[in-house]
Amino acid sequence: MRRSQIHLIGALAVICLAVAPYVLGSFSITLLNYIGIYALVAIGLALLTGVGGIVSFGQAAFVGVSAYASAWLSTTGGASPWFGLLLGAVLTCSIAAFLGFVTLRLKGHFLSLSTIAWGLAIAYMFGNIEGLGNYNGIASIPPISFGSIELIRSTQIYYLIWAIVIIAVLLAYNLLNSRVGRAMRTLRGGDTLVESLGINAFWIKLASFIIAALLAAVSGWLYAHMSRFVSPTPFEAGMGIEYLMMAMIGGAGSIIGGIVGAAIVTVLKNSIQDYLPLIAKGASGQLEIVAFSALFILFLQRARQGIVPYVAKFLPEPAHEPPPPAAPLPRRTQPPPGQTILKVDSALRRFGGLIAVNEVSFEVRSGEILGLIGPNGAGKSTMFNLITGALKLSGGAVAFEGASVADKRQYQIARAGVARTFQHVKLRPRMTLIDNVLLGTYPRTKTGFWRGALRLNREEEASAYQEALAQLKRVGLGDKPYELAGNLPLGSQRVLEIARALAADPLLLVLDEPAAGLRRQEKLQLAELLRSLRSDHLTILLVEHDMDFVMGLVDRIVVMDFGSKLCEGEPKEIRSDARVQEAYLGAVA
Amino acid sequence: MRAFKLLLLSTALAMTTAASAEIRVGFVTSLSGAGSSIGIPYGRGAAAAYEYRSEVGGEKIRLIQLDDGSDPSSATRNTRKLVEEEKVDILIGTATAPSTIAMAAVAGELKTPMIAVSPINLTASGEQWAIAVPQPATLLVKVVADRMVRDGVKNVGFIGFSDAWGDLVYTGAKAAEQAGLIKVLTNERYARADTSVTGQILKVMAARPDGVLNGGSGTQGALPLLSLAERGYKGRNYGTVALINPDFVRVGGKAAEGIQVSAGPVIVAEQLPDNHFSKKISLAFREAYQKANNMPTTDVFSAYAFDGWLIFLGAAERALKVAKPGTPEFRTALKDEIFKTKELAGTHAVYNFKPGETYGVDDRALVIVKLENGTWKYAP
Amino acid sequence: MTPDIAAILGVDGIATGAIYVLVAIGTVLIFTVTRVIFIPFGDIAAFTALTLAALDTGQVPGTIGLLVALACLATLVEVTSLVRKQAYREIPYAFLYYLVIPAAIALVVWLLIPLKPPLPVRLAMALLLILPIAPLLDRIVFRPIADGTVLLLLIVSVALHFALVGLGLLFFGPEGVRTEPLSSFHMEIAGIMLSGQTILIVVAAIVFSALLYLFFDFTLVGKSLRATAINRTGARLMGIRPARAGTVAYLLGSLMAGVSGILIAPVNTIFYDSGFLIGLKAFVGAIIGGLASYPGTAIGAIFVGILESFASFQSSAFKDVIVFSMLIPILIWRSLAALHSEEEVDE
Repeated sequence: MRRSQIHLIGALAVICLAVAPYVLGSFSITLLNYIGIYALVAIGLALLTGVGGIVSFGQAAFVGVSAYASAWLSTTGGASPWFGLLLGAVLTCSIAAFLGFVTLRLKGHFLSLSTIAWGLAIAYMFGNIEGLGNYNGIASIPPISFGSIELIRSTQIYYLIWAIVIIAVLLAYNLLNSRVGRAMRTLRGGDTLVESLGINAFWIKLASFIIAALLAAVSGWLYAHMSRFVSPTPFEAGMGIEYLMMAMIGGAGSIIGGIVGAAIVTVLKNSIQDYLPLIAKGASGQLEIVAFSALFILFLQRARQGIVPYVAKFLPEPAHEPPPPAAPLPRRTQPPPGQTILKVDSALRRFGGLIAVNEVSFEVRSGEILGLIGPNGAGKSTMFNLITGALKLSGGAVAFEGASVADKRQYQIARAGVARTFQHVKLRPRMTLIDNVLLGTYPRTKTGFWRGALRLNREEEASAYQEALAQLKRVGLGDKPYELAGNLPLGSQRVLEIARALAADPLLLVLDEPAAGLRRQEKLQLAELLRSLRSDHLTILLVEHDMDFVMGLVDRIVVMDFGSKLCEGEPKEIRSDARVQEAYLGAVA
Repeated sequence: MRAFKLLLLSTALAMTTAASAEIRVGFVTSLSGAGSSIGIPYGRGAAAAYEYRSEVGGEKIRLIQLDDGSDPSSATRNTRKLVEEEKVDILIGTATAPSTIAMAAVAGELKTPMIAVSPINLTASGEQWAIAVPQPATLLVKVVADRMVRDGVKNVGFIGFSDAWGDLVYTGAKAAEQAGLIKVLTNERYARADTSVTGQILKVMAARPDGVLNGGSGTQGALPLLSLAERGYKGRNYGTVALINPDFVRVGGKAAEGIQVSAGPVIVAEQLPDNHFSKKISLAFREAYQKANNMPTTDVFSAYAFDGWLIFLGAAERALKVAKPGTPEFRTALKDEIFKTKELAGTHAVYNFKPGETYGVDDRALVIVKLENGTWKYAP
Repeated sequence: MTPDIAAILGVDGIATGAIYVLVAIGTVLIFTVTRVIFIPFGDIAAFTALTLAALDTGQVPGTIGLLVALACLATLVEVTSLVRKQAYREIPYAFLYYLVIPAAIALVVWLLIPLKPPLPVRLAMALLLILPIAPLLDRIVFRPIADGTVLLLLIVSVALHFALVGLGLLFFGPEGVRTEPLSSFHMEIAGIMLSGQTILIVVAAIVFSALLYLFFDFTLVGKSLRATAINRTGARLMGIRPARAGTVAYLLGSLMAGVSGILIAPVNTIFYDSGFLIGLKAFVGAIIGGLASYPGTAIGAIFVGILESFASFQSSAFKDVIVFSMLIPILIWRSLAALHSEEEVDE
């Protein structure tokens, strides 16, 4: 599908929405209004849960905060609903910022459980605050008005709701395809991956959380002024779960899925109400929720990906149009050859009583490939994690470019110029090769959330694209940039990780067992690639288990055993060292 | 797109079912959710009412019932569905106060008369399209407060549900305080699902009240009484009609003995003197209820739905002389005629409605009944 | 607040907390074995109370209908999956476990009701009816996605709770029930009244959490159940069948929920939807114990009970706000306490 075709379909959808009030009955418009209002929340959840992997059961509470804020301001304060929108959005985002700041460091299901907790706590508040009408809620909320036109009838507010939905969809799409959007899409890969790319994972999570809350706030504002009555019930836990259902049914991670999910849930509920009495007379009210929950469980068992990704499989691939040529991204100046860029000085790391790295010291000099080798359990990986900031030192010092890394977070070390790869490849399998490599350019680019959402980033995107494509070509993967990373064989995935690391324009490339699991031919190719990088004056620290792979490649070797440094020297010396042979082959009799 | 087709389909279906000459009544109640213990009786009351009379002035009546799950959003959506899709002439509903307020807002917007069966305070803005059947909470409490004065009870502790009903009763108590009848010492709340009210009861008792006003409803309304008895409280207990149901009596047991509540006369219909306005119609209601639901009445709520139906029947009979059902004119006429309801004897009250007022009942709508040996006794 | 009042509130909080203890340790048990955060656990407790109340008044409890319906559904699911695997030989066993046994229980109870059996028999009947429900739900709902992430299981579990609430309303009606006290014993210590019921609840909580602690840490079956939780594939290689371990966990957990339902029914009115809040508050207690330690869970649940009791005295309207807000600092403390939390990478 070409971009123009996608635009055509989009335009058709907008026209359909525009003429709907003239074609459909007024109750259908009422339903469409609810769909639009729910869709806003579901789009937020698609970003937060689907893309970012943060499951929130508490969005209904955010909807409520904004709905109540605007209702209160426009009834007791007599202010225009537009001020209500402002108050609702600011209040909701502040609460979200606070809650996010406090809870987003939690992992996995603990994070989700915390959303149930604050969702319930906020919902209970509504009914207990005197000024908010207690459990009876606030009635006679004024409608939204444009000048003298009051949006009272459902066909009037319909256009406002759907205009906002369309804007939200466009902004969300732009955002997802921008620098920050790529970072959001990486969150599911785990914090270690995200931070290794120079991305502040916590900040990205917090921002996604606030964006989802903002969409919920707009939805709540529309809800308050459409129904012109608010009470605690619609913002309780049950609705929070329903929003999550909508996002998941539509296809978590798909923006359009938010709308589709909201539509299906709303229409399905309406149809169940219509048709269930025909099957089970008398008990229909009780069975509605049962039927609905059962359908949802069935859906989660059978088609977890959701509807939109399922349908998308049958549609033709979207055509990729590369951006125009652009100015290259600025590069760092590499230090002169031979200068020390990484200095490890008596590094010590304990795990409880166990000492994993015991007073190890070595240096990495600019322009060389240094091999860090040792048998299994020698403490290589721990050493690696100490250098990249994944683990904290228990003692000693690690300095990169003269500055200590001890109190720096992973992403700060990455930004300083340390790019890494992973022993167990960490790519985003469902993103294209070029998108994966673009992730590497994150520290070199600047576009934030707003510029990304408004597409003010085209120039920088084009530059980053050229850089990424150049790195793909450099490692020999330049022929199919739009392939999905998950479709590559392991050897090529390793190489792709190196391309991603190169896109960060690093001073030091740290490779974690890059030869593990590779076939002989692939190893040779990898070695060739690393040699060519050295000839481009790149400094490489290679942590490896495979002696043969290391011997012919590196300039110097550091050998570790049982957490301590065994020896250091050129490959030839190391090969003839008895202690090394003993460590690798066991005691020589 | 699929959703769109479904939408079209459902609209088309709705079109085919509409358009025939009959009076259509849209009835919303809470068959599920937190309000279902009140909403289900409303549903049964509506069934009894339909059994009692299903035609008026030669026109057949059709009753269309929807469940709102105790959620105001659903109540709003259902109301719109009933008016816009089912083309109902009048709305009756629903179980919780927030849902009822939400319904009334839509009824006003779509210019359809509505008979509310829950006590609500409608703030008058624009044209009034809704009235409420039950006794307002202020009246319920005022009658109880009058009784407190007679019993020599001045200082009153309040404990009630943390929901809309609890709010209404507390507001009523505050109004009685304003009127100088009683003094309200506490405002303690508990949730229906709570396992204990010990903390709240200790607080109530610390205030040393002469009497305790119970703002709970149904079975769980017995919880404070049990706790009070356990803590050795010897004063009097008062409550409202919402407490009356067989499980309350069973669960409350000895602790509930002697509690006095204000209630509609239908509760003690057979104990009423023969010339009481409520006696005949209440007995007719009980008979219809038995027939429609195959069980005897045990609650007070179903009778509100029944009284709402009576108000509708009277107004419809007169409105039919002005306009044909299914037209905006008929709906307007129906509304006007509802506000002309005069001295209509229902099971709970004698109804008189006039524009500008939500409620149409007076002191005659309430009697004090007292729980003695597990049965409610008329205590004039 | 006087010391008297504080003492009364404390006792009340411990009694409430003890109920949460039973539900909470059941939740932890199921979580450690199956990784399912079984939100409907409170519902199981409430259903037991409702069942017992129906039996007390000589009515046929809705549980019988529920049980038979679930048994039919589970049999259907199991047989379909066996046919698909072409394991025809196992089909008769499927019928035995999933249909015949539950149906037999339902039949026996149904036959016993008109005989007006004494209280101990009624208690046994209620428990018998309740026990198979969670394992059947496990077969229908969770087994097909047993390898999913904890999060997926959590979402399904929440949806299941809503389905159960709807079924509860259908089978038990909207009214609440309260059963006869199991003991009319009363005693007074230092001016504080203690009812036999309260003592029973606390004793049951202590006994069950101690038993589970011993079972898991000192018996082979317990250890193998725990192994299943840590590594399903590994457990399978060791000859432990995760599905069977799950069933055992659900049965034990249901027993716990059933007992708490029976104990709570005389002190509080139970509705078809009462379980949710009980379950959630118990859950807060379980999280204090890190969803792993039984003594920790017991202490956590008691803490929630006491917190709730004092909160209801100080500010009854904000009681639930206080209890659920507490969860956030607890979660943060727990996540700080956990040294190595593995990263969950899904896809």
